[in-house]
Amino acid sequence: MREQLITKDTIADPRTRYGAAKASTRHFMTQRVTGAINIVFLLLLLFVVVRLAGADRAGAVALIGTPWIGLPLALLIVNVAIHIRNGMRDVLEDYFAGSTYTLLMTLTTLFSVVVGALGALCVLKLVFWG
Amino acid sequence: MVELRLPKNSQIRTGKTWPKPAGATRLREFKIYRYDPDTGDNPRTDTYFVDLDDCGPMVLDGLLWIKNKVDPTLTLRRSCREGICGSCSMNIDGLNTLACTKGMSEISGTIAIYPLPHMPVIKDLVPDLSTFYAQHRSVEPWLKTTDAAPDKEWLQSRADREKLDGLYECILCACCSTSCPSYWWNGEKYLGPAVLLQAYRWLIDSRDQTTSERLDNLEDPFKLYRCHTIMNCSKACPKGLNPAKAIAEIKKMMIERKAA
Repeated sequence: MREQLITKDTIADPRTRYGAAKASTRHFMTQRVTGAINIVFLLLLLFVVVRLAGADRAGAVALIGTPWIGLPLALLIVNVAIHIRNGMRDVLEDYFAGSTYTLLMTLTTLFSVVVGALGALCVLKLVFWG
Repeated sequence: MVELRLPKNSQIRTGKTWPKPAGATRLREFKIYRYDPDTGDNPRTDTYFVDLDDCGPMVLDGLLWIKNKVDPTLTLRRSCREGICGSCSMNIDGLNTLACTKGMSEISGTIAIYPLPHMPVIKDLVPDLSTFYAQHRSVEPWLKTTDAAPDKEWLQSRADREKLDGLYECILCACCSTSCPSYWWNGEKYLGPAVLLQAYRWLIDSRDQTTSERLDNLEDPFKLYRCHTIMNCSKACPKGLNPAKAIAEIKKMMIERKAA
């Protein structure tokens, strides 16, 4: 998103763009789809949290290591990471422009990738290697 | 950048309290925002008293009574006085609406009147709507066709015409756009509910042949997708229209087009 001079003429021009035009609908769809998936997966997370109440580490490893629990949990982490990136884009677009926006968006992407990959890998390790 | 307080020269001060009309028995108190850029003074709220026995029932009647009989410097827009022209839109008792269709009896206590929120003020209750009009122009609110013009007129079925109900009635008073926090924040980039409702009106017009081009022009993170379904627009519309639904329909068209 580059900084640009906004005048009455540019506002009145139908072709004026303020951001990534072709990606905006995809971003909107991703936001809604990941949001809906989060609701479903959070029910599973809630179930896991309740089941783990008072459990020791071995109990937690055993439960999360179960494929039908661990695999959706790994997907949840990835899904949340994508959702975070989308939500942060909305916030950053409101407050920043130009190179500051690009820098902060890059950091957000890095954060989402690292947190999503690391979290998912940790859960997958419990599922496949205990 | 973020500003949590109004700049010092924009902070509203308490203004003059005008004398009560002599001999009046039924009075109504008006507190009205006043600002004159020529004086360089801060905005203020003046207090007026309206003689209800000498005045019509609507807020606009009260304002014109004040202008005619108390303070001729009070500045406001008005024209049709029956909810058709959209000129007298202002913030009355905390809600954006038309002064001509808002009855004084609908408001309890002092009637507080401010210009439409978050717009530059030209004078008193007159906001600068030139950005709003430029945005309206950007959606090209007219019939666009590629076929050769027919001999008589572009025909439309009754069913297709009915699709425009709830859209064509918009009078561009800007009550909805200026009630939207997203429009307050991104007023130059986000088109706002009124303009998007107008855009949708042309998108679903069966006679228009440039739907794809219109959607292309709207596909932007700011122009369209700054709508976060806050719904103030639908609550504020003095004509009872639903701009939020129109925006949702545009988003649906965008997604359907993407998925196709």
